[in-house]
Amino acid sequence: MHALTLPDARHHDEMLLASGAVRPHYQQFAEWLHSQTPAQLAEKRRAADLLFHRVGITFAVSGDESGAERLIPFDTIPRIVPATEWQMLEAGMKQRVTALNAFLHDIYHDHAIVRAGLIPAEQVFTNSQYQPAMQGLDLPHRVYAHITGVDVIRHADGQYYVLEDNLRVPSGVSYMLENRKMMMRLFPELFTRHAVAPVEHYPTLLLDTLRRATPKDNPTVVVLTPGPYNSAYFEHAFLAQQMGVELVEGRDLFVKDDHVFMRTTVGPVAVDVIYRRIDDAFLDPLAFHPDSMLGVPGLLSVYRKGNIVLANAIGTGVADDKSIYPYVPDMIRFYLDEEPILQNVPTWQCRKPQDLSHVLANLGELVVKEVHGAGGYGMLVGPAATQAEIEAFRARVQANPSNYIAQPTLALSSCPTFVESGIAPRHIDLRPFVLSTGQEVRMVAGGLTRVALKAGSLVVNSSQGGGTKDTWVMEG
Amino acid sequence: MKLEIRHETVYRYDVHAHHSTQYLRLTPPSTDHQRVVEWQLNLPGKASSGVDAFGNIFHVLTLDHPHDEIHLIACGVVETTDQPWQQSAGLLSPLVFLRTTPLTECDHALRQFAQPFAAAIATDPTTGLQQLAAAILDAMPYRKGETVSDTPAAMAFAQGAGVCQDHSHVFIACCRHLGIPARYVSGYLVTDDEGHVASHAWAEAWFAEAWHGFDISNAMTPDGHHLTLAVGLDYLDACPVRGVRHGGGGEELHARAEIRVIEE
Repeated sequence: MHALTLPDARHHDEMLLASGAVRPHYQQFAEWLHSQTPAQLAEKRRAADLLFHRVGITFAVSGDESGAERLIPFDTIPRIVPATEWQMLEAGMKQRVTALNAFLHDIYHDHAIVRAGLIPAEQVFTNSQYQPAMQGLDLPHRVYAHITGVDVIRHADGQYYVLEDNLRVPSGVSYMLENRKMMMRLFPELFTRHAVAPVEHYPTLLLDTLRRATPKDNPTVVVLTPGPYNSAYFEHAFLAQQMGVELVEGRDLFVKDDHVFMRTTVGPVAVDVIYRRIDDAFLDPLAFHPDSMLGVPGLLSVYRKGNIVLANAIGTGVADDKSIYPYVPDMIRFYLDEEPILQNVPTWQCRKPQDLSHVLANLGELVVKEVHGAGGYGMLVGPAATQAEIEAFRARVQANPSNYIAQPTLALSSCPTFVESGIAPRHIDLRPFVLSTGQEVRMVAGGLTRVALKAGSLVVNSSQGGGTKDTWVMEG
Repeated sequence: MKLEIRHETVYRYDVHAHHSTQYLRLTPPSTDHQRVVEWQLNLPGKASSGVDAFGNIFHVLTLDHPHDEIHLIACGVVETTDQPWQQSAGLLSPLVFLRTTPLTECDHALRQFAQPFAAAIATDPTTGLQQLAAAILDAMPYRKGETVSDTPAAMAFAQGAGVCQDHSHVFIACCRHLGIPARYVSGYLVTDDEGHVASHAWAEAWFAEAWHGFDISNAMTPDGHHLTLAVGLDYLDACPVRGVRHGGGGEELHARAEIRVIEE
């Protein structure tokens, strides 16, 4: 028997009720789990660790000066999503991404949503992620975010909420693919018992999305990486290899006669689409950050002429900024004339005096985040913080209120996870990936499930000690 | 006023550079204030041209053969007017010019310096901003050699001296801190003083639905003696030449801009 810690009743557990009863969609898995001995499963976990080391799927923690790479822990108990729930999630995410792309086209053209008074002009135009270079530029099929990662969580009420949209250079999809491969290798029998929707075709869909991002026939697509020192380099190399396209660094590309070329052993080759995994600020040292050694000098001039497609487009960050996030439901109503399928987490904007006083009075219960922050840095989780931490954060918020937003501390759902003591509930989130071509919005049924491995922790970021799980979307 | 301009820039490298790319903003646009009569660029290679985010005319010059010198000549004739310096908004929202850049960030000292002008600017923006400009020139008189092209506003202000670029950056930083959109202008200035460097920089502030000019270094409002080359958030957006090269070692730069009145 496994030493099983039951979830408490204050949050939703994906598999178990507080009584220990198993939810219907986990029934078959639970039976299988009980038929395995702890020793057998421990052996499989050792095999998984070994295999991941061999594959080389590692992650350098940003901010870690030593640049040491370490393995992101992988948990072998999958997160299972019933088919009906996935249908709702998929519809909600497609709706959201469609509205976000419409928003980006609008704020770089006619500013209708600003003129309609739905979003204050200064929220958009003074945002450091708003790129003046994009104003008036017409993109093929009006697609800005070709690839979006939408982070959702399930709250104690059993409902899904969107935590944030990632429209810049969302990462993590390689874990979705590798985790599935690992599970199929370790437990092939599970996939004969369960009708799990496949995810393996993601690279094919991604390549198709990138090829359709340009009006050119038979385009040359490349993946642009900052290089091996980037924490997601494995993923860049992995996706290039899976798609069968070149992985390049900035120095492999150059601009001439209004086109981008790739240096190859057989001479320069014109490039049509760049799947770039470099932030805006580093793309072109002549237009943005002058010290950037990662980008391609002159790239922006070619982009503005329409002779190269960047996926994602420049300037998408303004749409996933935490100060713009509260307006996404309004965007859905404004551009699509639909009601949002997926809910936002209620958000207080500290730039508003009323919201600020509420936040300052309730710091101990709230999660406070920097508006431009990412990766779980620069945030306060009130209930988990010491009084000293709260007071230090209060000073930061008071010094620059508009730099912060706050949300209620959500009771992220949990999923049984292997830990020292046996199996215990650990909090999880979910990042599915959404691909947009302008004609259609597509997803593979799955995503990256991240798990906070520390008991009670709500921070799932791999840079903060999170792990991952395979995500099973059941076929209807 | 009809002005003739000749602007020559030469980069010389210690050893051969094997690849270089330059963004050139060496072609003045026709605006509410100036009409380009004729203009030409003499460049060491074929360049492609375009219009950037701020409405500036730019050229991209790529040299992918070994070279130890880049020689650029821009020359032409431009007619300017003496009407009050007001430019209409372009495609971009003026609010974009409220954001700070590394070169125009306020520190505590700059914020303290700017704050007392808030009331005057609110009452009468032109007078208030002229007072601010005068105070800047007072606090950091024009002196060459104290700053370089990437000295941030706050540092130049702390040093207490600078050139037109620094004055403009400090003015812009203060304006933005006070909630007034402001932008950097690079261009030329014709003076009676023969041999004076004609390349110049000043600033524009947005109020009353127009961009208004402030030549901080000369304590004046830009007029027919001023000719705009390019505008942007700061020097980096508007500077006449910005380049990246591979190889070449050390570099020597000679720039010479001459401007002459051919018709009053």
